[in-house]
Amino acid sequence: MNRGVSKRAFKEAAQGYLFLLPTLFVLLFFIIGPIFYAIYLAFHKVQLLGVSSSEFTGMRNFTRIMVDNRAHIAIWNTVKYVIIVVPIQTILSMVMAAVLNAGLKGQKIFRVIYFLPTLTSSAVLTLIFMWMFNQSGLINELLSAVGLPIYNWLGDPRVALNAIMGMNIWSTAPFFMVIYLAALQDIPSSLYEAAELDGANAFQKFWNITMPSLRPVTSFVVIMGLIGTFQLFDQSYIFSAGSGGPNNSTLTVVLLIYQYAFKNLGTMGYAAALAMTLAVIILLATLIQRRFSKEESLN
Amino acid sequence: MKAIRWFVIVAVMTALSASLLAGCGSGQKQGAGGKVEITFAGWGSTPEETKLLDQVLADFEQSHPNIKVKHEVIADQYMDVIKTRLIGGKGPDVFYLDAIEAPGLIETGVLEPLNHYVTPDFDMNDFEKPMIQAFQKNGNIYGFPKGYSTLALLYNKKMLKEAGVEVPTTWDELRAASRKLTKGTKVYGFGQNPELARTFFIAQSLGGQVVKNGRANFTTPEVLNALQPYVDQHLIDKTAAQPSDVGAGWTGEMLGQGKAAMVLEGNWAIPFLKSTFPNIDFGTAEVPTIHGKKGTMAFTVGYVMNAASTKKQASWELISYLTGKQGMKTWTSKRFELPTRKSVAKELGYDKDPILGPLVAGAPYATVWSEGSTLPTIFNNFNNQFVSAYIGERPLKEALQEAQDQANGEIGFQLYD
Repeated sequence: MNRGVSKRAFKEAAQGYLFLLPTLFVLLFFIIGPIFYAIYLAFHKVQLLGVSSSEFTGMRNFTRIMVDNRAHIAIWNTVKYVIIVVPIQTILSMVMAAVLNAGLKGQKIFRVIYFLPTLTSSAVLTLIFMWMFNQSGLINELLSAVGLPIYNWLGDPRVALNAIMGMNIWSTAPFFMVIYLAALQDIPSSLYEAAELDGANAFQKFWNITMPSLRPVTSFVVIMGLIGTFQLFDQSYIFSAGSGGPNNSTLTVVLLIYQYAFKNLGTMGYAAALAMTLAVIILLATLIQRRFSKEESLN
Repeated sequence: MKAIRWFVIVAVMTALSASLLAGCGSGQKQGAGGKVEITFAGWGSTPEETKLLDQVLADFEQSHPNIKVKHEVIADQYMDVIKTRLIGGKGPDVFYLDAIEAPGLIETGVLEPLNHYVTPDFDMNDFEKPMIQAFQKNGNIYGFPKGYSTLALLYNKKMLKEAGVEVPTTWDELRAASRKLTKGTKVYGFGQNPELARTFFIAQSLGGQVVKNGRANFTTPEVLNALQPYVDQHLIDKTAAQPSDVGAGWTGEMLGQGKAAMVLEGNWAIPFLKSTFPNIDFGTAEVPTIHGKKGTMAFTVGYVMNAASTKKQASWELISYLTGKQGMKTWTSKRFELPTRKSVAKELGYDKDPILGPLVAGAPYATVWSEGSTLPTIFNNFNNQFVSAYIGERPLKEALQEAQDQANGEIGFQLYD
């Protein structure tokens, strides 16, 4: 009897794995394989085009990152971008969701309108924003109409990255808003009723009930935001026509990886080393975030 | 019963995995009816240009009945796609190659040297020398230019007339004319492109070398002094601006929108202006002389052959037809590009054309935009820093010093790691 059960369990497991096989195969060849290949590349100097060659260089590619000025600028730009964009888009999406959940008239229409930016392709979005950020474009017209100084958003290194930040917050906040909205609808209304009986005002209810209940979702949103923002590429590529300029102000790590992998010949290994460094940075950021959210949930 | 079920599951899974594997490698197609099929890749251009190319290819197929050309258009990120396909062994037999990318690709050995295919009646000496040199290395030739464009001074006739200035023939005259043509921050006398592809010849006008032994060499006094007036015209005179200062995408658009009275642009701007801004009456002139010397940039694209191609003879037939006298005449007859063959230029009368004449006149003295395999690294760093000097963020010398150090650091790492 006992033997029979284990045999059936084995059969069931085998069947399960058999069904998983195609997916496992795809994962192995198209995701895990390339990861290992990238690790191999990071420790070699490779020339893939034409007469291909590869030469083991040990840690050379990584020590190069230590002295590569542009790599430092790229990492710093990316970190700056993450530090500013992630909190703003998280708070903005939470507030937007709370407003939409408050029972306004025409809630559904607003929800659709708010969600629209997410559906636009980021390349199209960038082109539209470049037109708006133009020297004589919409943004500058609005700024000058209210008497604020105008900028050359695309050409001035001091503000070029800010333009990208603004655009990205505008386009990703609605996506997280939808996630928050779903979470908000899960909060039992009895909690709010109890708070009302105790005489809590709207702000107190938001601070003491809504925010704590949303903690797991916030954690998810922040992690997804971190990963997404660390991988900023297409916007800065289109803004700077691929150079990362002016004066390296829109240079991000992924743009630098792209330049070394495709624009220069024979630096594929260095690009792989940069990519691994970025992966480690993202991992660390995620771990730090998790640590913070755990400590919070202890109180 | 159970055995059958297992059999079915295993069969389905095997079929799925097999179809997945099969999807990875699609076999080479054999041309139908004993014809040799060669693939030919290029980037997309305007519909009129594509139509013309199709016409030329149809002519070729008619005169070479045993060859069929499969034309592939790579719409975006052309070089990335080509390089990736060459690495994967799926490169096209014949493809476009910009002169700036040629030295790098030649070095890797993916291009087929064409010397022993060339026959005397192909008449290699007919090509404009600077254009053909871009595809040569150590006595080998790896490609033939399909056409070229030089830069010329494009100016708004009405604006010049209203301001009462003549078409400038020297750089000093251009600066003086710009002062009269500028109207505040709405209309600038001169539209500039602060990047190396457009300023290379200016930077070398005092005898300096921007690229020396494959290294960046921006900070010699000759180069700095040659570039300083270009920046000064923007920062001190305030009579020149870059496209983003006036909300245009490029200098051709600046001229078209009436935001610049004069720009340095190539042949590609002419059909654009005629179709998009038909009301602008513009003229062309040779680029004003700098320090008493004539100079301009030339941009050229060639046809090259994949060294891994299995249909080399047919590929050569295509290249030699496209760059031959007949093919080039058809291709350049609609003025999208200038003919690199002197005889064709003469036959089409472009050297005497009021609009194209100044562009053709620039060909013999033009600096071709191609300079060794390290140029992409060099110009990327130059553009990045030159803009910061251009907008007055830091002195030119400081900006270019940083660009030079960074570029040479990268090149050193790239070459001698």
